[in-house]
Amino acid sequence: MISSDTQIEDNLSQQNGLAIINSKAPFSSDYGKDALDVALIFGSFEQKVSLFFQGDGVYQLIADQDATLVSIKDYLKTFSAFEFYDIEDIYVCQQSLVNRQLDEAFHINDVQVLASVEFGKALNSHQHVLRF
Amino acid sequence: MKTLAVVVTTPPYSPLTVTALSYVETALVAGINVIGVFFYQDGAMHANENISIASDEYQAIAHWQRLQQQYQLPLHICITAAEKRGIACDSIDNEQINQAFTVSGLGELVELTTKATRLVQF
Repeated sequence: MISSDTQIEDNLSQQNGLAIINSKAPFSSDYGKDALDVALIFGSFEQKVSLFFQGDGVYQLIADQDATLVSIKDYLKTFSAFEFYDIEDIYVCQQSLVNRQLDEAFHINDVQVLASVEFGKALNSHQHVLRF
Repeated sequence: MKTLAVVVTTPPYSPLTVTALSYVETALVAGINVIGVFFYQDGAMHANENISIASDEYQAIAHWQRLQQQYQLPLHICITAAEKRGIACDSIDNEQINQAFTVSGLGELVELTTKATRLVQF
């Protein structure tokens, strides 16, 4: 039993490719943009990539932000192109939203809000992880 | 055969780079197939020939160079990350770029990730 379970988990992690964790607020550093560039490249090479937003990274998903007010190129607008890159698995940590008193009002559709345990499980089903 | 790829996002003067170097060298000595190191974000600064770190401090760039020569370890720098940090990447015989490093794009990161059994980021 144990060996077959392990086998199934191995197969799962093979299927799920790369997970990118976004852990930084959008406009105080380059991290968010650097993560986006990696996600879009994997998408354009037809490699499976999932996005995880955690900690201050959840601010990248919040609606009605205007980067141009602080003279920054609004890379968050590009998030709406995810479907064209077949990036469909987008997860956000519920606890991180609660801690920051943020509503689940996002600027893109199909974001899945997950409790910490489920968030961890989803992350764990990927073969590779990059964190920005 | 199991393969390892490494992503370095820290600059050559960062103590975290020392950890990355120790990790990669230990893997190479153990006979693990390290298929490449990809330098992203501030990691791209490693390829800058003009960086000079005080001689009594850890010489990260020299150590990467040594591993590249000793093990034919591919060292890729992200061109976009390099150019925005002042390393012009427009010609092959560029004196600004340390010759141990190969100028690549993020496509190389895709290549390394899909080929590697394990990807480790520093």
